[in-house]
Amino acid sequence: MALMDRIAQGLAGDWKVTDAATLTENQTLEADVVVVGTGAGGGTTAEILARAGLSVIMVEEGRLYYQKDFKMDELTAYASLYQDGMSRVTRDGAISILQGRCVGGSTTVNWTSSFRTPEPTLNHWADHFGLDDLRPDILKPWFDGREQHHNIAPWAVAPNVNNDVLRQGCEKLGWSWAVIPRNVKGCWNLGYCGVGCPTNAKQGALLTTIPGALDHRAQLIHGLRADRLVMAQGRIDRLLATALSADGVTPRNIQVELKARHFVVAASAIGSPGLLLRSELPDPHNRLGKRTFLHPVNASLAEMPQQVEPYYGAPQSIYSDEFNFRQGVDGPAGFKMEVPPLHPALSAAVMPGHGKQQASNMSKLPKLQSVIALIRDGFHSDSPGGQVSLQDDGSPILDYPISDYLWTGMREAFMKMTELQFAAGARRVQLMHLDSPWFTSWADARQAIAKLPMTPHRVRLFTAHQMGGCGMGSKPEQSVVNSFGEHHQVANLSVHDASIFPTSIGANPQLSVYALSARNSVHLAARLNA
Amino acid sequence: MTQPSPGDHGAPATMDRRSFLRTGLGGAVLLGGISLTAGLMGCATAPARNSDTATADDYAFRFFTRDDIVLFEALLPAIIGPGLPEAPNDRRQQIDRTIARMDAGVVQFGSANQNELRQLFDLLNFGPTRVTLARVWPSWEHVSTTEANAFLNRWRTSRVGLFNKGYMALIKVTNVAFYGYKDNWPLSGYPGPPAWAMDALPQFRTRA
Repeated sequence: MALMDRIAQGLAGDWKVTDAATLTENQTLEADVVVVGTGAGGGTTAEILARAGLSVIMVEEGRLYYQKDFKMDELTAYASLYQDGMSRVTRDGAISILQGRCVGGSTTVNWTSSFRTPEPTLNHWADHFGLDDLRPDILKPWFDGREQHHNIAPWAVAPNVNNDVLRQGCEKLGWSWAVIPRNVKGCWNLGYCGVGCPTNAKQGALLTTIPGALDHRAQLIHGLRADRLVMAQGRIDRLLATALSADGVTPRNIQVELKARHFVVAASAIGSPGLLLRSELPDPHNRLGKRTFLHPVNASLAEMPQQVEPYYGAPQSIYSDEFNFRQGVDGPAGFKMEVPPLHPALSAAVMPGHGKQQASNMSKLPKLQSVIALIRDGFHSDSPGGQVSLQDDGSPILDYPISDYLWTGMREAFMKMTELQFAAGARRVQLMHLDSPWFTSWADARQAIAKLPMTPHRVRLFTAHQMGGCGMGSKPEQSVVNSFGEHHQVANLSVHDASIFPTSIGANPQLSVYALSARNSVHLAARLNA
Repeated sequence: MTQPSPGDHGAPATMDRRSFLRTGLGGAVLLGGISLTAGLMGCATAPARNSDTATADDYAFRFFTRDDIVLFEALLPAIIGPGLPEAPNDRRQQIDRTIARMDAGVVQFGSANQNELRQLFDLLNFGPTRVTLARVWPSWEHVSTTEANAFLNRWRTSRVGLFNKGYMALIKVTNVAFYGYKDNWPLSGYPGPPAWAMDALPQFRTRA
């Protein structure tokens, strides 16, 4: 039982952790490396560099929350642990963006699914972006190493009913399915991964790489917003940052200046391009913030005859890649099928209704099952992705126009999800779409889906995976960083997060970020120690 | 973005696209100016005081204005519908506490999203736009649940994406604050976190 809290112990010991809300005056700090962001990428980077003997300061905009704060309550968790209190959306409001904003980043709130980057994706990157040194056989040891570090293994316990419906549907229809590898140790199978693991079972950045870095004398400052990187003589000279209040959002009149030999930005596919844009760094080919990908998600809801209790049990344990790469890596939009957990607040946010209809849908929650399709975007010329730019207040915003190519893939995904749920015994199925009734047969659903308007807002869309915007590639004309995450134009700047992916990947991204960041950090440590 | 979509809406796609652009653009321009105008025209622009709601206990509002509270006092019975208790005092208390939780949630939204929400609320609170865009004739304190429901359905079924977006913003922030709250879990049949786990975990232990 993982009851010994490593964070509480470290804080009581000699860890250097500062809550910027407690600072009383402006500061200037210095280290070998400043790492912006403490998610999958930043945590990995900080630990590897600190273990290599470099002095490291981690800067995190979100606050430090750990076991004492994780009380399995949605409202407090969404307000404190997610970007914009879980209200983040694309510019036109059509896609809801689920993204962590706390120490550990999205790894603190993700559903623990841990996939290697699919081989067709890595080969596509090599063929189209000159990333030959990221071929599957070359990356294998990095995946092996990170799987060990985060205790990643296929879930050995029986899936909950929510996930088992996905398995059963696939079995009935002859579609492939498999068990999801999860990054957990001594998991209690409770189902609250999305609101901060209450048992310290989840081996996200919060309980692995960040403690590893802090044990090796790295410093963490949380509640500190990175404003701007300042250049001098062609190099980054310092990072300017603003302390936030204890409410996590209100800026204080306290500035922190961080100087370093090298800067690693790992602030996510929205935050990293945002910081680089605010810093007005060289971008001679106008690539920064372009080609942002989301694995846009559409969803289908089933009312099952049996109890599902979709709020209990490991939230994701079964997936199907039947339609992910079936029509080729760069053919019509493929999608991965998974299952989301359904707790009351999340369900109420996702089901687009009000009044009697909403009350009736909500009252059926114990028998509701949901399937989601994650569209694999960015592999086709008709899927160029979105663009991050800055709003008046300097915060980043993502424009993500949805092309007909993607709509076609989503309509197909609606078809397959519905067919699957009926095959698994659903009494009724409703699409997460403003025009969808409850269907009572697959035949009715199929006819209706073929004619359903596929337009923004009417189709309810989500993303939990933000990628790209600082894309990697061998040619500076087409990319922001090289295959080691090193900025093409600024020598002492690296980007170590999902923003460097040149396309989406077709799988939940945390292990891909862990592995690439580990590889790139080992490379960086050797460079800095040379 | 808008692709041809037969189905039960009927209108040709090109027509839809043109009218969407026209109204969408006009709507965006209007939204941009509305907060300023609302302030000049005397809409409440400061966060509400405790006394502005009957029973929101000691909660100090940070985002919702007096007018916003009146707006949601009219909308909540339509958005939550049968989920609200019948007894007038309980009902009033539930509504006000839900609005207080919405305010607490919105505080975490960040300034850009707060601005969007402010524009939406001001558009609904400002008489001329309430009448022309929401097509709600009486001021919100005189709007019946039937009228509020009709307004929500107009924006839900509208072919104008901006109205769909406004509808989703209104119901999402309300539904989450209502159904996500512990006291309302029974409405969704959610038993809450397993008691055995809470008993076994240190963060639920209260120490003297």
